[in-house]
Amino acid sequence: MPEQLQTGFAAFVSGIAWGKWIGVCFLILLGGVLASLAGRGVNRFMQERASRHHTVMMRRLVFYLVLVIFLIAALREAGFSLDVVLGAAGILTVAIGFASQTSASNMISGLFLLVEKPFEIGNFIEVEGRIGEVVAIDMLSVKLRTPDNLYVRIPNETLIKTLVINRSRFPIRRLDLTVGIAYAEDVSRVENILLDLARQNPFSLEEPKAFVLVTGFGPSSVDLQFSFWLPADKVLEGRSQMMVDIKRTLDEHGIEIPFPHTSVYAGSHSEPFRVQLLNPESMTKTGDPDVDQ
Amino acid sequence: MQQTMTQGMEDGEWARPYTLSPGDTHYHELSHTQVWVTLLEREWRVCYQRVAEDDDQDRWLQSAGQGFPAEDLSEQRFVRPDSGNQVTYQPVMSKLAMVIRPYQPLTIPADSECTIYVGTLLWMRIQVGDKSTRLLELPLADPMMTWVGRNTMEGELCYSAATFARLVLESVPQRPWRAITPVRIVNDQNEPLLLERFNLPTPLLSLHRNAQGQLWTPGVTVYCESGMNSARLRVDSGVMAAAGDCSLVTAAREQPSRGGLIRAYDRMFG
Repeated sequence: MPEQLQTGFAAFVSGIAWGKWIGVCFLILLGGVLASLAGRGVNRFMQERASRHHTVMMRRLVFYLVLVIFLIAALREAGFSLDVVLGAAGILTVAIGFASQTSASNMISGLFLLVEKPFEIGNFIEVEGRIGEVVAIDMLSVKLRTPDNLYVRIPNETLIKTLVINRSRFPIRRLDLTVGIAYAEDVSRVENILLDLARQNPFSLEEPKAFVLVTGFGPSSVDLQFSFWLPADKVLEGRSQMMVDIKRTLDEHGIEIPFPHTSVYAGSHSEPFRVQLLNPESMTKTGDPDVDQ
Repeated sequence: MQQTMTQGMEDGEWARPYTLSPGDTHYHELSHTQVWVTLLEREWRVCYQRVAEDDDQDRWLQSAGQGFPAEDLSEQRFVRPDSGNQVTYQPVMSKLAMVIRPYQPLTIPADSECTIYVGTLLWMRIQVGDKSTRLLELPLADPMMTWVGRNTMEGELCYSAATFARLVLESVPQRPWRAITPVRIVNDQNEPLLLERFNLPTPLLSLHRNAQGQLWTPGVTVYCESGMNSARLRVDSGVMAAAGDCSLVTAAREQPSRGGLIRAYDRMFG
């Protein structure tokens, strides 16, 4: 029996067309190496000529194109008919499609994202309250890096369905700061001071012009909206420096920025509050000051 | 430090190699800026600070000597690229276009032209060693930024500068940190042209120096024929005759390309 097995195995091994299969492996290997080299070459060529987004897209396209060509060649070398393979792939796609609708939906959404291009790699976007830099746009999801260095993966389908804010689409942005001043202050004077600050601040653009609006009479303050424009990549520094400047300048001019005041009203029919003055001796005692003297 | 160095100061000069010994500090006062460049055995150190605008002066004062700037200033350190101990200060135009805004808008009547003389702020490029290795570039005053374009979506970020838009060359103040550009505006329209803002493409301008040490750029001619958005711009090949005999000091940052110029035309008048 073992002899028969050995003979059968030897016949099986000798029956395999080793040369053909080595050729198939070689083609797949060569395809992988050439695709990788072509991808790197495209990356190097486009790095200084195109945006990061386009560079990554082209690199992937070239990589998969070269790889697919060599895979097809390898299948032909192995003796598979391409028509049969494609037919099988079609049936397989339908079967897989039913089984994995979410993945298929994400893949199709990914295609729409590529065509519509609402953002590119390197842009800062806001999705469902999450802000981050786009680090990759892949087949199934988009990856973000948040300002506090978290890695966030968002399915492509979500990006198609939900509101996406691209914060770095345009080179300049407007910042709206709310400044509250006391009711006793002269609004026109404060307006002039704020506009002067916009003229002096190095981040604030000269054009489009800064402006000040009165937005409401708050419970404790007259609320002003101070709006100015700045380069999109200077928003954080610009906001911080401008707020520091506003506080310092209003302090210098003696203009009050009020905090919420609360008055306690006991009602017309209530007794007045009892006020008790403590003598200095009682204040030095360590006991409870409310204890009757 | 500053008080000791201001004694015996001389006029500074662009593109002239200054030789320092290890331990020497080269000190400058120009425009709204004070600059210190120090040579050590294995490194170069550079630091600068702004001075109040009231202290603006007409001359570029410089001196070399032992000592270091005040400790509270932040220094930038650079490894010495070679054993060369020379430092040169190269003037360069700004990387972004400069929007020139006359204090008083100027009206150019229909079918007429004028030449305004614009003095634009320079950047100082510090180069050291035998190979003239570039250490850094610094503006000689803090420039304001502005936006020029049809709307807040299409346009470009530029630096902004106010000008008197002088029409007489003799009245233009000559300062070592400003380059003079004659801008000829030809209004071929049937309507007057109100010049409120003008976008000068400074990256396309080279810098030239005459015998008096003044810096000039080639002239710029703007033809306005059918409207402000269709104006054509041409940069002259050399400086104007009034500048005298000039030699090239710094080449333009960018070469004019057809596409680039067309974009500039669209945003010439803000």
